[in-house]
Amino acid sequence: MVEAVRTQGLYKRFGQQVAVGGVDLIVPKGSFAGLVGPNGAGKTTTLSMITGLLLPDGGLIEINGHNVWADPVSVKAHIGVLPEGLRLFERLSGRELLLYSGRLRGIPLEETSRRADELLRVMDLVESQDKLVIDYSTGMRKKIGLASALLHNPGVLFLDEPFEGVDPVSANTLTDVLRRYTESGSTVIFSSHVMDLVERLCDWVSVMSRGHIVAQGPLAEVRGDQTLNEAFLDLVGARGSGDEGLSWLGSSGGPR
Amino acid sequence: MTTLFVRLKLRLILGNLRGDLIKQVGFAFSLLAALAFALGGFVLFSLLRLASPDVALNVGIVVFTLFALGWAVIPLVIFGVDETLDPSRLALFPLTTRQLAVGMSAASATGPWPLASLVILAGGVAALADGVGGVLIGLVAVVLQFALCLVTSRVLTTALSGALRSRRGRDVLAVAAVGVLLLSQLPNLLLNRGLPGDPEALLSSAGAVLRWTPPGLAAHAIADGGLVGVADVVVLAGVVALLAWLWIVALRRALVMPDVSNQGGGSVRRSWIDRFLPQGMLGGVAAKELKYARREPRGRVTWFTAIVVSGIIMFTLSGDNGPVGLFSAAGPACLAALMIGIQACNSFGIDGRSLWMNAVAISSERDLRTDLAGRHLAMAVIAVPLLGVISVVAALLAGNAAWAVPAALTAWGVLGVALGVGAVISVVLPYTLPERLNAFSGAAPGQGPLAFGSAFAGFSATSAAALPIVLPVLLGYGWVGVLAVPYGLAVAWAGRRLAGLVGFARLPSILAAVSRAT
Repeated sequence: MVEAVRTQGLYKRFGQQVAVGGVDLIVPKGSFAGLVGPNGAGKTTTLSMITGLLLPDGGLIEINGHNVWADPVSVKAHIGVLPEGLRLFERLSGRELLLYSGRLRGIPLEETSRRADELLRVMDLVESQDKLVIDYSTGMRKKIGLASALLHNPGVLFLDEPFEGVDPVSANTLTDVLRRYTESGSTVIFSSHVMDLVERLCDWVSVMSRGHIVAQGPLAEVRGDQTLNEAFLDLVGARGSGDEGLSWLGSSGGPR
Repeated sequence: MTTLFVRLKLRLILGNLRGDLIKQVGFAFSLLAALAFALGGFVLFSLLRLASPDVALNVGIVVFTLFALGWAVIPLVIFGVDETLDPSRLALFPLTTRQLAVGMSAASATGPWPLASLVILAGGVAALADGVGGVLIGLVAVVLQFALCLVTSRVLTTALSGALRSRRGRDVLAVAAVGVLLLSQLPNLLLNRGLPGDPEALLSSAGAVLRWTPPGLAAHAIADGGLVGVADVVVLAGVVALLAWLWIVALRRALVMPDVSNQGGGSVRRSWIDRFLPQGMLGGVAAKELKYARREPRGRVTWFTAIVVSGIIMFTLSGDNGPVGLFSAAGPACLAALMIGIQACNSFGIDGRSLWMNAVAISSERDLRTDLAGRHLAMAVIAVPLLGVISVVAALLAGNAAWAVPAALTAWGVLGVALGVGAVISVVLPYTLPERLNAFSGAAPGQGPLAFGSAFAGFSATSAAALPIVLPVLLGYGWVGVLAVPYGLAVAWAGRRLAGLVGFARLPSILAAVSRAT
């Protein structure tokens, strides 16, 4: 198995709180990998450290065999990133954002605009390509963010919550593009807490809880003979307790 | 209901302070400042008693009017710091409009600054009242004046709340904040140029006009203390009641109007300037910076401020008793270059949370240098012609057009020095520019000292490094200006070099520092 991403003992602390406490993440090359976990499990922190946006306190990160922090030149050109929270250059139009992304990577302007036109068409953003990103809806932002992460044709793509707040139509476009991308042998790693989606898309799953990887492997292995959602709830230890208390809730009481 | 709103406001103030020492210290200072203002304002205001009754009345009228204006404008400029100001947050609760109106005005009277202004206004009674009637009418008038302030501010924020929530409205308002800054400089300029006529005549003519405005009525009522005073108070009460009614109408409308902030804006034209910029990262960053200077309100505000302040300096220095000779041409141009160049001291601030996009592409010290060079190029594209124009105007004002040449050359040199210094400071002391720009703070909560340190280091280091080229020119050796541009370019290059060396390893910390929540 060739690994696209491998971390060893990845560790990060914010003040007293350990956000990521020794993560050994493995993602095989060419896989469509899901990083799942409840809120606060450390998914975003892990992805930020792997993509070189946050300095780890300890541990090793390798992408395609190159150390991210020791050898950024060999790594940064080959990864694409869509961080959480839709942080984009708001005062550029969608098209300008793509051109900017291409120029940052040193792709010639002509080639950049050819790729940008195609990406805008596939993402169904042609009509709004000259509108400012600040006026985009959530789905449009995720799509333009993905487009700019794909523009330099990276070998490994990191997406933090790419489907959060996205309408079904845009989500469909996103998954189509990502499927095509992995079929060619490229790797996608995305974080999510929508289990159905992960189950439908991914062939590799890493489950995080409280700063650790609690399960990792091919989808079929991780879920066993349950659904992924059930397996996940067992792994993070959060089942039941939904029917105690709340006796006032429901139609038997009055509004007060 | 009223107490509930007051408690909500207090809870919001306290919640904002929880767990953040710097904010707590800031709040303590703010409390002390409000107390000092309240006491000092009250004492100063009551000292008016010592002046002649006419002067005292006129000053009282002007002060009352300024208070009403301040209450109308300041909440607009800092709209958003207070959730109790925004009716849409309360729209879903089962409250009648009247309950909302009463509750919201109680909430807006709560807090150190509103109470401080009530105390200062009460100083008006001490200053102007004459006899028991004056004091009685005065107390009523002060309460009405306070109510007028509250209701005016509420009518304006509510009526404009729709616009204030939309992106375009906020963009316009951010630039309007510079107008406030400019207005605050107006008295300074007037004093500098010499007043038209003597101050006392100006005061009495202002008093005569403003006496008929609602705040003027309040001040006049206190001073009169008789039947006319009662009439003043009755009219004032009518005005307050009318504004309150208008406010309730506006509130009712604001509660049922759709939120327009999510409606899309228009398209932007594709830029032609991109084609003339270099390829690759250098041109990309420069093109983006040029667009941001135009489209981002904070970009527009910083450029506009730099130009306005340069203009003020120019006219101040060229006054009758200003310096003469080459100094009066090169001086303003160099100061303008310093004002403009100082923007480069937080180069990454305006990118803020979007800086990750550059960070994932920057893979070597050289890339970081290129990024900074792109920012410098964009700034030079705007500033070089601008400084040229300022030099010509300053030279013409100084009386010798030929001085424009050394003035412009030196100013360009100073700009280069400022860019070089700024590059280093940008990677050493980066800080977050607040998304919602207001006239009172230039940094995210808790980063105020950092912003001050950055500007201070920028000013002192640039001044020191620019001295060898600026001093001879200011002393009259204009030919030294020829050396200024190469010197500036060299310093800018060295600054980028050093910034690349220091900054590349610090990239994650820079990213964190400019992405703080505001």
